Amino acid sequence: MAELRGSHGDQPNHILTRWFGTPDLHKLEVYSSKAGGYTALRKALVDMAPADITNEVKTSGLRGRGGAGFATGVKWGFINRDAPGPKYVVINADESEPGTSKDRYILENSPHLLVEGILIAAYAVGANQAWVYIRGEYDEPYRMLHEAIEEARAKGYVGPKPLGKDYPLDIRLYRGHGAYICGEETALLESLEGKRAQPRSRPPFPAVKGAWGRPTLLNNVETLCTVPWIVNNGGAAYAKLGTEKSPGTRLMSVSGNVRNPGVYEVELGQTFRHVIMELAGGPPEGRRVKVFWPGGSSAPVLPESMLDTHTDMEALAAARSMGGSGGVIVMDDSHCVVRAAHRLLKFYAHESCGKCTPCRIGQDWAVRTYERILAGEGSQVELDILQRVSDGLQNGRCLCGLGDSGGWVIDSTLRHFRDEYEDHALRHECNVGKVMASA
Amino acid sequence: MPDVNLTIDGHKIAVPAGTLVVEAAKTIGIEIPVFCYHHKLDPVGACRLCLVEMTPGPPRPQTACTTPVAEGMVVKTQTAMAVQARADILEFELANHPLDCPVCDKGGECPLQDFTFRHGYPTSRIDGPRLHFKKPIPLSDKIALDRERCVLCYRCTRYYDEIAWEQELTTDERGVQSFITSQFEQPLKSIFSGNIIDLCPVGALTSRVWRFESRPWDMTHTASVCSKCAVGCSVTLWQRRGQLVRVTSHENDDIDEGWICDRGRFDYTDVNDPSRLRTPTIKGARATWADAINAVAGGIKGKGAKLGVSLPQDITNEEAFLFRKLLDGPLKGAKVKMHGRTAIPGPANGSRAQGALPESLMRIREIDDARVIVVVASDLEHDVPIVDLRVKKAISKRGAKLIVVYPDSVDLDRHPGTVHIRNAPGSAAAEVRKLASHELLRDPGGPVAILFGDGYGGEDIDDLASACGDLARKVGGKEMALYRATNERGALAAGVAGWDKLDGVEALFSWGPPPTAGIPKSAKFSASWDHLPRAGHEAAVVLPATTFAERQGSYTNLEGTVQFLRPPIPVPAPLKEGWEVLCELAAALGLHLDYAGVVPIQREMALQTPDLEPAPPPVLVGPAHP
Amino acid sequence: MNSPRTKSVPRESAGTPLNTALSAHVLDEIKELPAKYPQPRSAVMPALDLAQEELGHLTPEAMTEVAEALQLDPGYVEGVATFYSLFHLEPVGRHRFYVCTNLSCMLRGANEIVDHVKRSIGVERADQVSADGLFSFEEVECLGACEFAPMMRLDHRFHYDLTAERIDALIAQRRSSLPPLTPALSPEGEREIAKPKRETAKPKGEREAATPKKVTAERPRAPRKKKAADG
Repeated sequence: MAELRGSHGDQPNHILTRWFGTPDLHKLEVYSSKAGGYTALRKALVDMAPADITNEVKTSGLRGRGGAGFATGVKWGFINRDAPGPKYVVINADESEPGTSKDRYILENSPHLLVEGILIAAYAVGANQAWVYIRGEYDEPYRMLHEAIEEARAKGYVGPKPLGKDYPLDIRLYRGHGAYICGEETALLESLEGKRAQPRSRPPFPAVKGAWGRPTLLNNVETLCTVPWIVNNGGAAYAKLGTEKSPGTRLMSVSGNVRNPGVYEVELGQTFRHVIMELAGGPPEGRRVKVFWPGGSSAPVLPESMLDTHTDMEALAAARSMGGSGGVIVMDDSHCVVRAAHRLLKFYAHESCGKCTPCRIGQDWAVRTYERILAGEGSQVELDILQRVSDGLQNGRCLCGLGDSGGWVIDSTLRHFRDEYEDHALRHECNVGKVMASA
Repeated sequence: MPDVNLTIDGHKIAVPAGTLVVEAAKTIGIEIPVFCYHHKLDPVGACRLCLVEMTPGPPRPQTACTTPVAEGMVVKTQTAMAVQARADILEFELANHPLDCPVCDKGGECPLQDFTFRHGYPTSRIDGPRLHFKKPIPLSDKIALDRERCVLCYRCTRYYDEIAWEQELTTDERGVQSFITSQFEQPLKSIFSGNIIDLCPVGALTSRVWRFESRPWDMTHTASVCSKCAVGCSVTLWQRRGQLVRVTSHENDDIDEGWICDRGRFDYTDVNDPSRLRTPTIKGARATWADAINAVAGGIKGKGAKLGVSLPQDITNEEAFLFRKLLDGPLKGAKVKMHGRTAIPGPANGSRAQGALPESLMRIREIDDARVIVVVASDLEHDVPIVDLRVKKAISKRGAKLIVVYPDSVDLDRHPGTVHIRNAPGSAAAEVRKLASHELLRDPGGPVAILFGDGYGGEDIDDLASACGDLARKVGGKEMALYRATNERGALAAGVAGWDKLDGVEALFSWGPPPTAGIPKSAKFSASWDHLPRAGHEAAVVLPATTFAERQGSYTNLEGTVQFLRPPIPVPAPLKEGWEVLCELAAALGLHLDYAGVVPIQREMALQTPDLEPAPPPVLVGPAHP
Repeated sequence: MNSPRTKSVPRESAGTPLNTALSAHVLDEIKELPAKYPQPRSAVMPALDLAQEELGHLTPEAMTEVAEALQLDPGYVEGVATFYSLFHLEPVGRHRFYVCTNLSCMLRGANEIVDHVKRSIGVERADQVSADGLFSFEEVECLGACEFAPMMRLDHRFHYDLTAERIDALIAQRRSSLPPLTPALSPEGEREIAKPKRETAKPKGEREAATPKKVTAERPRAPRKKKAADG
């Protein structure tokens, strides 16, 4: 088994990761016998009505773990199960948000957890076919998921009569080919349809017109992996964990300048200090946390002084940030915020699909402005341009969140680290220690 | 459904349900600028230029082009948020846009210019190098692409995909690196390519034929009818200094819905050809009109069946009417051959030709409502391109089903739902007879449209017409006969759409270009009314002709709609109108025809062929703006 | 910007079996793809994947053949292929180092790793291939393994906790034509596939992406069918 860097084993908050580390957990027999796998599927198909399953998920208060944090049960309820014609469940395994590796962690440790979650969800919303859209770079997770699906097919869980129920269930795989924008729901659907992945205008929403024009439920990997536990233990039990509006636990990938980077299962409501300093060991000797991204690079940054911010969505919103993908990137005081922001804007510019004007032009304009600043050619003009671009990317100007994300990087770093920006732009100097070769 | 009430900028209005906010605003003259939105394409909300404030709605601006009106909605286009959003978007659009206005053909009819004046900032905060592309790129011999000017509204690629069902024009790369290109930089081949010029809201896609010809304000224009095929699309003809400088669409929702094909758009340069014939000639020597007409009369008089008359595909109704009189009188017995005809007979009503076609043939606009469309013995894209687009729209946007009966592949096969019956040539009628029991036609759920051509002579047309008629009656359908020649129906109605062979005639009178097979060797005398020099003119009597850009008259399109030509260019002296020449020729042949103008001829025609229904004037739409 | 890859495609020559860029069995597999999806256009991504697997990168000829096999316009296929970063329209050499330089990896020395890779394989830019045709590199965005930063993807596997030494070892192994390492012999830190290559019948069209293609460093790829005109 590959090296586990993250949560595993028997802890009260290890809803997802309890059995991670069990040898051969990716094999169906081990998943079933050692980890109680597929008991939830049996319960859902045999003992529950589809509407009951959706109700349990609603009661649990589970929120989407991909980035938007939308109430999962409510989303399931948008699908009209009784409408004629096919419906689909599409699983967003495109995980490309910088700093996020939790879905990969799940797929490499317990792919059957996802298979089981998918089957339950499909049954609940009236879909017979699920498509997992998995990023093309995830060679190993793809292979393991594929094997798991085939094992489930051999066992009859995937097939025309799962567990004897007259309700065909199938899971198919579709590989992405390198585009972060495919993490956006409607862009993912476009890609699944074999097109250039550009988001769609909403409405119509995928629940009405999704994959191939059909009603579609789109969920993140981790979200669906939480479903078996909720079915087995009840939604109320899940809601007891975490906070009232952000119940449960989530996997937080912690990376960057920390001693123990890893994927940690955290009960929502814990502080970032706990996550970064305790679970991940804090920054290396002699360094301090300077800034951290609490939910992937798209979440507005928080400075060291806000380490005690709680990890639930509401606390993050109050801190003018967001839960996002749960990817915590920690940067210590030996690095330059302006350079970090520049690198992230290069990312957004590279990944911009080009459909809407502000993102297509604005991200690139910001990159070029950062380059002038970092080359020592900056002035107040460049700072004003960065602010102008940032404003132009936010607040509904763009067709999707990729645009806003670029804006938030600029906006939040300018807000918390204006002096670093002014060092570069106005004084043409960087007062941060040189980037070290390794942490 | 009842109308929806909403308020835009304080004005209370009521519009039909389903109207988009951007269109609702237009009804009261409020301009919400748009690039990516086009009323004939599916809205995408890509350019973000139309952001306005709407309640109910989130506290962020919304795109007016993707939002349908809702009861009680309040739309504000002039709040600080909306005004700034619009100006910011324009500033972004201009960030990489080159300062090409002085050399850009779009100048003067350019939405980017106009919107910037009306909605943009007076100065830009952008500085620094812009994105550069090699330019201009020839997309074909007719269309040039300037990637620096392109604002990536994607109208062109969306049009290609949604309307024309082709993807030879595509977008490469991603993000700010995106650019429009033809596939592997091969020339565009589609007959529908030219519409992207009209669609492009900036000077990125321009006509190479019209390149640097004129500024919009130097031209005058008229709304006329295309003269290239039987569909009869509405076109705008633009003239400058007596030259026809370009052709654009004049949006007629009954026929073309704003699209024209490349034949109609680009095949006009002969109008301006410097070698246009200017004076009558007799065997190459200049002559007066009187002498020339007398020479013609002398050469064709009293020849009976030894006279051959060649008529062009775009003969006007009025000229055809006069020819009928000549052929009933002094030219009785002459063999007549019309260019470009199909083998399809004329409709029975009011026509001299034999025909089994019923009175109620379909109108083009009725294709929209068909639930099942049957296309027989015709490659629509080739024969009647704009009808092809209308059929495509019915299938992809209105859910109609399609059955094609044709030996070869056609572009309609691109739709995965198309049922294509490949018949052996000659067996189309038999296949049509089988269709009554086809699963798609057992319960079509609405009207059925049956479009049939003549299979390029490979089918027994009477049998096929009869089979289509039977099918129409059985399944609740209407037929459309796919005539090809521009005024085939008008000529059929006048009884001059001849089909005779011209071999062996001793005298030939060509109205328009000579027969495609050439002047028969047996012809000792030849006369032409033509606009360009041709082989054989040096031995003939030649009368200089007008073109469609100068002549008055009317055409009857394939559905039977009579449409009036409105030439932008007056007949240049010493040329004469065709009807005038025919009247003078008639006089020289001893037949007295006295008409003061084209209108009296039309009045007389209307009395004699009462079913020909003149078309209502097409709706005027501005030339360039969405 | 201006794509240098767009040389003209002689469509007329793309029809006869001996002159196709893609081998017959790949084209056959591609033709069977559309039926596997609710709508046929979805087949274009896996089809391009098959083509790229065979040729190493996508040429205009290959893309045109994919288009014809799927009954699509080549322009459509071109538009899709140029959108996605994993489709390469230029030669990429046999082994491509996809080194993540996004934030988490950058904070742990990814830029130095990239410099080392460039020096070691002897190229300056991502659009270049090493002189021996074996290597190229690309700075990529987050690969979703941030707890193992700095990391990269090479030959369909992730490689973690990169150091100059690990890079050198990987390069040397490929240069010296040794067969790929079996799990038992993996050096510390190199993430190996836990299973040997499987025999499971997989549905056609869904590729086993994790196992490296049968090609190893010393065994050349199935040679391209030589065109008659090849000198």
